[in-house]
Amino acid sequence: MNRKDIINFFKGLLEVTFKGGKAFYLWMSLLTLLLLIGLATYIHQLREGLIITNMRDQVSWGFYVSNFTFLVGIAAAAVLLIIPAYLYSFKPIKRIVIYGELLAISAVLTALLFLFVDFGKPERFWHAIPFIGTANFPYSILSWDMLVLNSYLFLNLFIVLYVGGRVYFGKEPDRRLLIPLILISIPLAVAVHTVTAFVYNGLSARPFWNASILAPRFLASAFCSGPALLIIIFKVLRRFSGFRIEEKALSKLAEIIAYAMAINIFLMLAEMYKEYYSNTIHLTSLKYLYEGLGEYRRFVFPIRFSMLLNLAGLIIFLIPATRKNPLSLNAGCVMIITGVWIEKGMGLVVPGFIPSPLGEIYEYMPSIREVFIALGIFSAGAMSYTLSLRAAIALETGRLRHPQAPPIIHEKEGLRARDIMTSDVIAVYPETPIEEVATLLLKYRISGIPVIDREERRVLGVVSESDIIYKEIHKDPELLERIGGIVLPAYRQTVKRGDTAGEIMSSPPVTAFPDTGLEELIGMITEKKIKRIIIVDSQGRLSGIVSRIDIVRAVEKEKIFFN
Amino acid sequence: MLSRRQFIKTGITLLGSLTLSSCLKQDIFREKFQELTGEEKKAFLKRLEERYERKYGIRINVDATPPLKDAVFGYGLDLSRCIGCRRCVYACMKENNQSRDIPIQWIRVMRIKKEDFNPSDFEHSEHYYSPEEVPEEGYIYIPIQCQQCERPACVKVCPTKATWKEPDGIVVIDYEWCIGCRCCMAACPYWARRFNWGEPYIPKEELNPYTHYYGNRPRMRGVVEKCTFCIQRTRKGRYPACVEACPVGARKFGNLLDPQSEIRYILDNFRVFRLKAELNTEPKFFYFFSLG
Amino acid sequence: MMIGLFLFFLLMFPSPLISDTVSNARIFSSPLFPCSSCHGVMKPVFSRRKLSFHEDITLNHDNLWCLDCHNASNRDRLNKTGGKIITFNELQSLCGICHGVIYTEWTQGVHGKRTGYWNGEKHYLLCTDCHNPHSPRFNPLRPEPPPLRPEKTLRR
Repeated sequence: MNRKDIINFFKGLLEVTFKGGKAFYLWMSLLTLLLLIGLATYIHQLREGLIITNMRDQVSWGFYVSNFTFLVGIAAAAVLLIIPAYLYSFKPIKRIVIYGELLAISAVLTALLFLFVDFGKPERFWHAIPFIGTANFPYSILSWDMLVLNSYLFLNLFIVLYVGGRVYFGKEPDRRLLIPLILISIPLAVAVHTVTAFVYNGLSARPFWNASILAPRFLASAFCSGPALLIIIFKVLRRFSGFRIEEKALSKLAEIIAYAMAINIFLMLAEMYKEYYSNTIHLTSLKYLYEGLGEYRRFVFPIRFSMLLNLAGLIIFLIPATRKNPLSLNAGCVMIITGVWIEKGMGLVVPGFIPSPLGEIYEYMPSIREVFIALGIFSAGAMSYTLSLRAAIALETGRLRHPQAPPIIHEKEGLRARDIMTSDVIAVYPETPIEEVATLLLKYRISGIPVIDREERRVLGVVSESDIIYKEIHKDPELLERIGGIVLPAYRQTVKRGDTAGEIMSSPPVTAFPDTGLEELIGMITEKKIKRIIIVDSQGRLSGIVSRIDIVRAVEKEKIFFN
Repeated sequence: MLSRRQFIKTGITLLGSLTLSSCLKQDIFREKFQELTGEEKKAFLKRLEERYERKYGIRINVDATPPLKDAVFGYGLDLSRCIGCRRCVYACMKENNQSRDIPIQWIRVMRIKKEDFNPSDFEHSEHYYSPEEVPEEGYIYIPIQCQQCERPACVKVCPTKATWKEPDGIVVIDYEWCIGCRCCMAACPYWARRFNWGEPYIPKEELNPYTHYYGNRPRMRGVVEKCTFCIQRTRKGRYPACVEACPVGARKFGNLLDPQSEIRYILDNFRVFRLKAELNTEPKFFYFFSLG
Repeated sequence: MMIGLFLFFLLMFPSPLISDTVSNARIFSSPLFPCSSCHGVMKPVFSRRKLSFHEDITLNHDNLWCLDCHNASNRDRLNKTGGKIITFNELQSLCGICHGVIYTEWTQGVHGKRTGYWNGEKHYLLCTDCHNPHSPRFNPLRPEPPPLRPEKTLRR
């Protein structure tokens, strides 16, 4: 690696990160605009002091600290992807782990920015740094928090840069180094959010926070909002870039969200029960939050709204059909992100101060300047994530690569779905009668036929021979295809009755993308015990079918033997 | 010609960077006051006084009298005497150079119905009472300020060790070291700490020029402050300003280690109590009812 | 028993027990125009009646009458306590006859106010500096203004 290499790398990096289409420039201009507004407002705050916020002695933390807390949760949960990917070898997620880590990095940076703008004397921040300043170890939890947040930041940065560097030179990352680092980041992710919870939790002066259930609640809600944000991001990426992600990975994430949200709601109810039933003087803050205290009820609507959003999100992700439907999946994600943002942001921080330890009530809501500064910080975070994602995608697709690096193996070598699939596929619409489907099956000597919608040719399901047989003999399939992976297995047990393809088809279909490798296709067929895989493009539109015989042909042609 | 110009240029750069670095060392990357040697402390206080003189146009004396030997301060407040007149609040503001335009008050006096009084819960307190005359029938008045806890919750949480308990029991803040994160404000169960949300303003003629580094010297925006038992007075043997301002003599101050002090008499002869005792902060601020 | 003994000692030594306190001289009976300049030639009347000269004095001190405290034969002095006729500067011992506990607390610096030095010279106030002896109940005060509500300090 010489100087020329480094220059080339950065030149390439700049090119792939800053050159883009119209949508990209539009998005970046919007972020830049918000960033500048935020920056100008922050300069105003530096000149005037925090008096330009609506925080006062009675409510001494507000919007900034709320967003800090929320973002630490996002950062912690972004690494949650690692658990299924590495502990359970869930391949579809393994590929996207690095994107989760990138999100963790941007989220920590954004969180730290929020902490920074909340300081009355930001130029003295170095007082809090160990060795340089006088960090208060082991007593101050904020000292610990800054330590774990920075460790987490640098660990993830290291992992991402290391993997990125290796990929740039066309080398495999050394697993003996990578796996331990990745495994360390799991407890560290839990630690960042736990320690952040402990900052509040340890204050006996504030009974609202001084409940031992607080840290578990933090984690549970973070494991909802983090993956929900990732789903949204992946979907946006799939639409606007060459980014590929399997539907399976997304629905796995949605499943995690469903579990986490159930736990989150349970913990919240446990907390509410304890406070309301024992009905001590410590109930007041909770009462302020959920019911209001007399005329003071500014938080009542937002918190009830967030409870509704969380509950709706839970229901959407609990039911496999709504979890797998792209539209309701999007809606659920947005609901959960918003719900948790209210609940674990302002809904957590502000009621801690109401009433004040001396019984005063000051109803805080952020000033417009606080909102501007917050928007600026969020934009900075979004910008850093956008750019890092672009670099990561460029590395993955080989657009950013050392000239002498060996070509990307899985792109060149080996057969992919597009090479072996039948592109000229017969398909039916949902309203096609079964008789007609059966005729087609017989006519073309095929065992299954995809069902697509008329307008966009999106694949909705597959009608196979067995679907028709089951329909005819009115017998339960008694196939719980995926026992562990489904929240409500009973839902899929019911016999489908009906007279059209749409009514009896198996849905959702098992799909892959045109560039899915042969090895993976074989894995899917053997694992799922199915006869064919529908190949769809990134929009879910039908591109072809790979059947068992196609695979046999490919193996024969390539002389690949697996032992 | 060229070499001379170069020489001057280098000289200016060198000089500039030297002054800049010394400025940085003096004003930004300074050491914590606590850790300075005696000489350095003196020099720093002198610079501080010069800075104040430039800013306010009058001479302000900043001393750093260390804690007295064999003294731990304690405070007694007789709730059967307090009439809630808030004389202490304003005397404190004056003595301790608290901001006037965005007012900061270290003492808060609460009015509570007699039957609602609970030393652990002030939910029924009124802070903004304003009758024609005090005391009023059926109410008691409870002034609260920093309780100078033996186990201060605020000190524990500070991420920069900018606040600590001195050997004489006073919890102090180094205004030059505080980063303004306000953890201590969230941690204080007595709501005793105040933040300089904006630039504090005190008219020149109202400034109290006799100050202590950890006490009443003029503060800056973005740092936390609170009652120090008038450290500038008490470390020189004087009573705090609130004690002297109280028209009914409800406020008592003294050395807990001196068996002859009035505070010890109170501890020995009255049933004293501390606010929010269940939090184990062990305030050195004792409340009592001398009557009934 | 103990209290009785204590009170006895108090009456024996009418001056405050604290040595380092300093009293301010009071001018109830001024040397230029002492009370005795009028009262010296007047015959003391012990009966309760409407006063014709000191009509500004409202007497509201339990059931006391002037000469319960003021010395009938020497109006520049107060009545005997501890076997000695006392000056106006020593009135605390006279008050202490009835208000024994408060007197004790006062000597300890608990009742009333001390200013000055907690570890040195103290200025203390006498009973009558705060209480009107003829109507000793503490007068109500107008409170100083309440603090500013946080809502009032918000920038638009």
